Amino acid sequence: MSTFSKMIPSFIAQKVAPVLFGLTAVLSLNAQAKEPLKIGYSDWPGWVAWEVAIEKQWFKEAGVDVKFEWFDYLASMDAYAAGQLDAVAMTNGDMLVTGSSGAKSVAIIINDFSNGNDMIVAKPGITKVEQLKGKKIGVEIGFVGHLLLLNALEKVGLKESDVTLINVPTNETAQVLASGDVDAIVAWQPNSGQALEQVAGSTAIYSSADEPGLIYDVLAVSPSSLASRKDEWKKVAQVWYKTVDYINDPKTQPDALKIMSARVGLKPAQYAPLLKGTKLVSLDEAKTIFKKTDTFSSLYGSSKASDDFNIKYKVYSQPEVLDTYIDSSITDSL
Amino acid sequence: MTTLNLPSYLDQTDQVKKRFDALKKRDVILDVKKISKKFDSPQGEVEAIKEISFQTHKREFVCVIGPSGCGKSTLIRMLAGLETPSGGEVLLDGKPVSGPGPDRGMVFQGYTLFPWLTVKRNVMFGLEMSGRSKKNAESEARDWIDLVGLSKFENAYPHQLSGGMKQRVAIARALANRPRILLMDEPFGALDAQTRTKMQSNLLDIWKNIDITILFITHDLDEAIFLADRILVLKAHPGEVNEVIEVPVPHPRSPEQMITPEFLATKKRLEELIHEPEEDVPMNLTLMTDKSDSVD
Amino acid sequence: MPSSQKNVKPWFAVREPLSQKRATCLTFLSFLMPILIWSAFSYLPFLWHPKVEITQPGSVTWLQPGTLIDKAIFKEQQILAEKNNTALPEGKPANPVYLPAPHEVVVAFYTAFTTEPKRRSEQWLHESLWHSVTIVFWGFFISTLIGVPLGILCGTYSVFNKLFEPFIEFFRYLPAPAFGALAVAILGIYDGPKIAIIFIGTFFQQVLVVANTTRKLDIALLEAALTLGAKNINLLFRVVIPGILPNLFKDLRILLGWAWTYLIVAELIGTSSGITWFITQQARYKNFENVFAAIIMIGIIGLLSDLILATMGKRLFAWENSRGKIA
Repeated sequence: MSTFSKMIPSFIAQKVAPVLFGLTAVLSLNAQAKEPLKIGYSDWPGWVAWEVAIEKQWFKEAGVDVKFEWFDYLASMDAYAAGQLDAVAMTNGDMLVTGSSGAKSVAIIINDFSNGNDMIVAKPGITKVEQLKGKKIGVEIGFVGHLLLLNALEKVGLKESDVTLINVPTNETAQVLASGDVDAIVAWQPNSGQALEQVAGSTAIYSSADEPGLIYDVLAVSPSSLASRKDEWKKVAQVWYKTVDYINDPKTQPDALKIMSARVGLKPAQYAPLLKGTKLVSLDEAKTIFKKTDTFSSLYGSSKASDDFNIKYKVYSQPEVLDTYIDSSITDSL
Repeated sequence: MTTLNLPSYLDQTDQVKKRFDALKKRDVILDVKKISKKFDSPQGEVEAIKEISFQTHKREFVCVIGPSGCGKSTLIRMLAGLETPSGGEVLLDGKPVSGPGPDRGMVFQGYTLFPWLTVKRNVMFGLEMSGRSKKNAESEARDWIDLVGLSKFENAYPHQLSGGMKQRVAIARALANRPRILLMDEPFGALDAQTRTKMQSNLLDIWKNIDITILFITHDLDEAIFLADRILVLKAHPGEVNEVIEVPVPHPRSPEQMITPEFLATKKRLEELIHEPEEDVPMNLTLMTDKSDSVD
Repeated sequence: MPSSQKNVKPWFAVREPLSQKRATCLTFLSFLMPILIWSAFSYLPFLWHPKVEITQPGSVTWLQPGTLIDKAIFKEQQILAEKNNTALPEGKPANPVYLPAPHEVVVAFYTAFTTEPKRRSEQWLHESLWHSVTIVFWGFFISTLIGVPLGILCGTYSVFNKLFEPFIEFFRYLPAPAFGALAVAILGIYDGPKIAIIFIGTFFQQVLVVANTTRKLDIALLEAALTLGAKNINLLFRVVIPGILPNLFKDLRILLGWAWTYLIVAELIGTSSGITWFITQQARYKNFENVFAAIIMIGIIGLLSDLILATMGKRLFAWENSRGKIA
């Protein structure tokens, strides 16, 4: 019975009170009252970076009310698609996939691009992409790892049909490589690092550092929220680029690492290599990436490649209109 | 073997005859008119009971006995209203009955006391159902518990009682409703022989002291003769009335009467009626032991 | 017969209770055995240590102290080094990372509770655990609030049985996690959808189990009540419900365990929270000793709550107890 009586107050505190509080807030402040901007983020160094701004309370300083919600990556996209979030941290490719099923979004901030965290890890004896010919490769088909693999094969003149793909969930790739059933796997951190660690003598024969910009990570905002609360989103962007500078500055980086590693339950030293494989994009760099070109050094070019890939692998059937997904105006105005 | 020279079970002493004459003049409490029961089975319709008719008079004790499969239980369940007859009707005080009701109290073979209620609350159950106030029901329940001699145990739970005590509570519970007739379906069948004999005497004492008519089902011949004024003997497939026997054993009854000629004569007759030669399958006995240690 | 033989009770007697001492011993042993097996695999190097932990890389350049490699590869490298007459690599047998030794898990268990939250929004572990407990509680509570009355009605009246049970039979095969995205869309991202998953996982089984328990009530008790003049509502409230209460309580104990098994999938929906957040995060970075510690925490909570409920049941339903015969 004691649990029971204790739970009633906590129920009131957790479920009833916010509703009542919300109601009174709406009534007392009427139209002026606004919900905080709700942003979903998950475990990727470029997004864990937000934690620095949260911990330092820079949003409050900037005068913008935001609420960050931590998710599993897939769960965060589900929550966004269900209309429960104003924005979500996604890769540019996933932004298109989510959008194709109805939940459109607009990238207003470029957080980072993968700079080595995504890798093709091959077992001992294979040191070059060329050697993959005729080999078995474990990869999560239709996802970014697949895209990276195709990019690597293309560079050395190989086709997808020259290798055998085995569909493996990314978080199991390390074990699969260790089992010896495949010759190489494609994964991102921390799975790629584990594969390297678990299979002695294995090497990363290709990584996202070889094609920077293949995968961009962005803040994807719902079009309606962007339209109605653009000023607030501008403040969010300001805080973001301030955060990037703080993390990239060698003087303040240790402090940033401490905050970020705490978010995922690691020690700062353990987190440093993960951060290294992620290139956090400064304001100036972001402005360049927002420029429209056909190469991977542009968000457009990269997204176009993702779009083609998604069509080819029937993730969706109609090409997406990329212009509606990218809005550089906020970043450009800073 | 010596053959006892027994009188006929039909011989009645003057005292017994007088008693039966008086009994038959009393009001009819239960009037069973040609009731029958048919069940559906994979082999088609089975007639379990075929047109059974009989009457019980006020304060009479009637036992029903018969071979297995004669539908004794089905009969009493129909009287209690727990099963619907396929034909015929049952009149209680001249009025047809349908469905179970407190005017026909029932004591079952299995223990049916409510395990979550104390002895007292079990006995109060029927009284409360009839809308009595708790206080009123409680004092009346106490009287009934006292009657069956369990006052010391009124706050005990059924699981704390012996089998015999449980059935005494069950009798008190049924009687508390002041039913017109008490239907008893082999109530002592699960008890050991000693307890059973004691319970039989107890039941007769209770019956003597209160205004109650009893219909009692049993498969025990001694029990039937010891308890009953009349015995309704059924035969099986389908269940029909074979014979109604007026028990020539005088009242008051006591266990010593079990070896009197009239008792034994009645028992012999019952054995003849219930004996089913077609069910006798002889055993195939071959000697499987050393001859030197013969038991003869 | 020598008297000493009479005193020795057999250990294996069909459905015979053991002495209190023996029972306690065996209970203790049931926990001790898995721990002993686990310890044996962890501490006895000759028992299943499929890996080699490098202590000295020797002349093999790609090896580092602490690296775990397969025994076969290690042997190959040793032979190779021997052939080339270079320094031999050295190492000791080790288990894969996913089998931490008992003491590592004990340490992890302790540190998990004593580690202060580092971030502003972070919770103590016991707070996360408590959050998980409340999720399970509310899911189970809401399910019980509807499921038990419905189950009793289905078990008592054929009308309700035929009206509800066929659909519930169908629905109970649908995996609760499949409703995750839907639950988020309807109930938001916080506790709502998590509670909903526990509810969906528990409710449909609960109705059927309770209905079944209700049907198992001895019909003779109902018949006895009928002959005593009980009807309709009285039959339900004065006979059916009190009659099934002890078994209903046992059902609920089993179903509560059932609800717990949905916790991990439930907490993966919406925002990461509770003990699941701890488990998935630690598993992602292969801190398996923490994962084991967390799993053990859930086990302890489950066992304790069941023990409490079992004791409560014994008190509440004293009339069911076979002990304490007066006569």
